[in-house]
Amino acid sequence: MDISKQTSEQRDLLETLKSAIIAMDDEKAKKIAQTIVDKGFDPEPAIKYSIAEGAVEIGVKFDKGEIFLPHLVMAGDLMDEVAKILEKNIDAEKVEKKKVILIATVQGDMHSVGKNLVSTMLKSGGFDVYDMGVDVPSATIIEKAKDLSADMIALSSLLTTTMPYQKEVIEDLEAMGIRDRFKVMIGGGPVTNDYAMEIGADAYGKDAVEALEVAKRVLA
Amino acid sequence: MITLYEIAERTQTGEKVEEKKWDMDFFKTISELVKKYDIKYPGEGCYINMDDDLAERAFQAGIEFLERMGIYCITTRRRVRLSREEILTAVHEAPTEVLMGEGRDRRIWKQRKVNGNEKLNICPGHHTPFTEDLANLVVSNFAQIPRTDFIEGFNFASVDGREIMGPPMEVYASRRQVGWMREGVRKAGRPGLAIVYYPINTRAEDLIGAMDPDHGLRRTDGILLTLLPDLKMEQDMLSAAIVYEEYGSFKLSGSFAIAGGFCGGIEGAIIEGIAKPIACMIAYRDFIHYTGVEHVHMLNGRQILIPGLNWARSVVNQALNRYSHTICMRWVIPTSGPGTNLCLLEGAMQAIEAPINGMNLYAPRQARTTTNRGQTPLEAEWMIEVSDAVIEQGFDRQGANELLEKLTRRLEGEKPLEGYTITECYDLIHHRPLPEYQEAYISVKKELTDMGLKLNF
Repeated sequence: MDISKQTSEQRDLLETLKSAIIAMDDEKAKKIAQTIVDKGFDPEPAIKYSIAEGAVEIGVKFDKGEIFLPHLVMAGDLMDEVAKILEKNIDAEKVEKKKVILIATVQGDMHSVGKNLVSTMLKSGGFDVYDMGVDVPSATIIEKAKDLSADMIALSSLLTTTMPYQKEVIEDLEAMGIRDRFKVMIGGGPVTNDYAMEIGADAYGKDAVEALEVAKRVLA
Repeated sequence: MITLYEIAERTQTGEKVEEKKWDMDFFKTISELVKKYDIKYPGEGCYINMDDDLAERAFQAGIEFLERMGIYCITTRRRVRLSREEILTAVHEAPTEVLMGEGRDRRIWKQRKVNGNEKLNICPGHHTPFTEDLANLVVSNFAQIPRTDFIEGFNFASVDGREIMGPPMEVYASRRQVGWMREGVRKAGRPGLAIVYYPINTRAEDLIGAMDPDHGLRRTDGILLTLLPDLKMEQDMLSAAIVYEEYGSFKLSGSFAIAGGFCGGIEGAIIEGIAKPIACMIAYRDFIHYTGVEHVHMLNGRQILIPGLNWARSVVNQALNRYSHTICMRWVIPTSGPGTNLCLLEGAMQAIEAPINGMNLYAPRQARTTTNRGQTPLEAEWMIEVSDAVIEQGFDRQGANELLEKLTRRLEGEKPLEGYTITECYDLIHHRPLPEYQEAYISVKKELTDMGLKLNF
């Protein structure tokens, strides 16, 4: 977002907020967010610039190996808290609704590292992420997706023998006549793009960085 | 050592902890201990740890970490607390040798010394998916490698033409896996060779279903039962550990830490990498472990080189070999796939580290493996050739460090190559690489020889 037309005071606040988010300085970031609210400034640039661009830079740092999964978690939580402060002054109806992604490791699979990386990356990337954990039955995933009115269902599988449950979710959505309501992205160690196409998934994410790029493209 | 039943009880009675709190406490505690014990990467040019004090401090950090955190049972969402005494008892009471296999194929798998001069124990293959049509031809190819001490099973998507999905088919598949393994080792003329069952899934029935002294897993065979990353255990795995402990099979763990995850960077991963095999010994009675540190970007096939990774692995394995009874293995996992020169160069790097740091060798396999594309027998024979040469030529830590520096310079700027399926680069009928892969192998041998590791032609 272009902030050049903001006042110099506002630009300073926006840049400082962005830096505080990147540095994961909770106290500073929340203080600046509150200042923006108290001064009656439009909070939209803070959301679309400070938080959004801060998230991009955090993703780049993770990709470069400068920060790790726990930092993504902390950053995601901080961005949520900052957004809540900023949104106080926006009518609930006008708050731009984030796209919702439901993520889970499929039934029978206890592996979570990849899923956690993708989940936190998606959250840092500006999506509303609901993480259902591991070993989640297909029916449970679909019920939750319906409850949340999710935009995307992201499914992780690290075992060759649990990949069929990714296919099962898609088949169940089709059988229920609601396949078109959700985009489905799959990923995990043995999963390939070919397999994603074979089972009718909408997208494949090779790793957390790619999953974020793909989610942004598919849900644009 | 604390009994498995005591562990079982603690998974039911331990303090309730939400998983997110465990994960963030994990990171916070490890970060504190990295500072407390001054664990710091010395910087570029350091691939093998030369600082013995650091290895000792790292070991103490690992013990304190396990004492403070315990193990997390994801089934019951409870913490399994361990006292310092229980941890140190495990460290010292675990065996330094494991007997496996039977008849003329009986082997002793041993703990190694740092910079030891005995040739290493070898598991040459699997832990990667193959299709069932290749099943026992692949197994017999790997089993016929003379230095093979045990061979691990593999995963697959269908059996007898049926998709494997759900517990009944998983259990059936577990029995077929071991059945194919036994047929494959017999075809290689090694009927008594130890087989390690690679879990089709981690449900208790899938783990125990493979047990069968006549047609499946024998008492002289083994099974892979491992903690998840971040010191997380499952009750199903513990159930299987209890059964196999009585049955008599040996157990393996996948005990490397993953830098980039909740352990943080490579320094934090060192601490988890030391704590984890000890935790596996206690939780599941695993006595052979693939140890060290890997990185999320490497395991995802994004990057070949990660600064400090070799050094971190070195610290972990030196610490475990000096201060505990941990039988370590180096899982050779190149980011490039089989059939490529980069796969062999990356494998060489890891095979050089192994004898220097006191590690046996385990199942070379592409990091981001997919069906039929993970490995060929050549990578296994290559890792044996390289590690034997390092031992025979008397490389010490400094010499190995210089060799790894040269290999690093060689690999700089390279991107991981996808590689080929096993049948695209290897002749399973005649047990030899296809001509192009053979050429790549000779070329890489020449490169290594020019770098200072004399290899036979």
